[in-house]
Amino acid sequence: MKKFEELLLKQWMFIILLGLASASVIGATQLFLQHNVGLLNEVFIGEMLKMGRETGDYSSASSFASGFLLARLLEAPLVGILDIGGSLMTGIGVGIPALLLLASFGFIFENFYLAMLLGFVIGCLIGLGIIILKKVMPDDLPVGATAVMMGAGNKVGEAFGPLVILYSISYSTPAGIGAIIGSLLFYKTKKPIVGGAILGALIMCSIFLLFNLPIHPPAKPN
Amino acid sequence: MLEILLKSILIGAMGGFAIGAGAARMFHAPDTIGMGAFRTLGYINTSKGDGVSHATVGSGFALSSAATSLGTGALTQDVFHRVIPNLAVSLLALFYRRNVEDLLGNPAKMGIASACVGMIFLSIVNTVSALIPTELALVAAGILAPASALMISYVMPLLFIWAACDAGDTVGFTAILLAGIMQLITGNALPGAVLGILLGYTIQENGFKNNTSRILITIVVTIILLISYFRGYFESILSILGLG
Repeated sequence: MKKFEELLLKQWMFIILLGLASASVIGATQLFLQHNVGLLNEVFIGEMLKMGRETGDYSSASSFASGFLLARLLEAPLVGILDIGGSLMTGIGVGIPALLLLASFGFIFENFYLAMLLGFVIGCLIGLGIIILKKVMPDDLPVGATAVMMGAGNKVGEAFGPLVILYSISYSTPAGIGAIIGSLLFYKTKKPIVGGAILGALIMCSIFLLFNLPIHPPAKPN
Repeated sequence: MLEILLKSILIGAMGGFAIGAGAARMFHAPDTIGMGAFRTLGYINTSKGDGVSHATVGSGFALSSAATSLGTGALTQDVFHRVIPNLAVSLLALFYRRNVEDLLGNPAKMGIASACVGMIFLSIVNTVSALIPTELALVAAGILAPASALMISYVMPLLFIWAACDAGDTVGFTAILLAGIMQLITGNALPGAVLGILLGYTIQENGFKNNTSRILITIVVTIILLISYFRGYFESILSILGLG
């Protein structure tokens, strides 16, 4: 156990660990594309992938996610922590698959194990890149940039909750009332309100469905 | 269903192990590169190895991410950021003793505990959310698809450009410039805003006559030219001018 611990603390083990983690997130993306469950990322990013799957145009998902990947890769050697949100879950987990699907390598995502293998290889390559960057890194890359992006990124997460409440209300009255109650409960218990809004809307709609009441038509203002 | 279960176990075990070991490595940063985030570290540090409070934090986020995944299929980033690391610490506390602060930086123990948590959590949540009836999935899609579209095309670029303008003249300038160009050629300003913040900060801190700035400018210009070529933007400009 002691030897295993020392091994895992070796600098180059980072490459293997990132490979394993990348295999896992790309596997999760494959699961999501095939079965609609299990994406290890936020709801709006999942919707971005779904939009790509329907229209065949993955460019918004790929350009959005690769920007984050680039920024995080430059940051990791500087601060000594790779931010798994932007780099791993969004950059590798969504950006790389979207790029491949865009470049008509989509067949990879028909096979779960092929996708995971590819994820492992990509993760190892990126890990290797980070280790090399750490060795040769010039000291003049901006640290402030990532702070700004992190701040804006967190704000984005907070903005989605209220948006979901508004869209639930415009979807239909029961969904809207459910979303309001759910988000209030989550807000009071200090949880992200987006979860409460979605759950509230779904529970209210399922009650209506259970009693065969219409969950449509949408509420029309004025 | 069995397929989803098996895949979830594999994903959870591999990802959990890597994330757990990476989180433990964070306690040895910056010499050893860790995986996680400052907020992950912050969340682990607020409970300081106390089994009960780690379990509370972890299961709270586990519930909210399970709730989000119903009907949407997206588990949120909290699974890797908060659920797995915190529940892994509480699992260690269950096996060793009430407070395991000294084990937080142990990648072997954290990795194995995280692999167990990841396996169990993902297999339960993924199989349950696959059982959601179609009508409800349609409701979720009907609400979330338009909300996400608005989010991606307006709210996110807005927040990023806003943050850039608050960060200083140079950063604001490059962010607006690149966001505008990206909106023109790709229809989404966000990647431009992100690149603009990165470029603006580099120029602000080092000036133009610096290798890092020059390399970054070259990368940005190349990206823009490539995207506009592949998306046929040059042809549409020619046709606007009546030359196409």
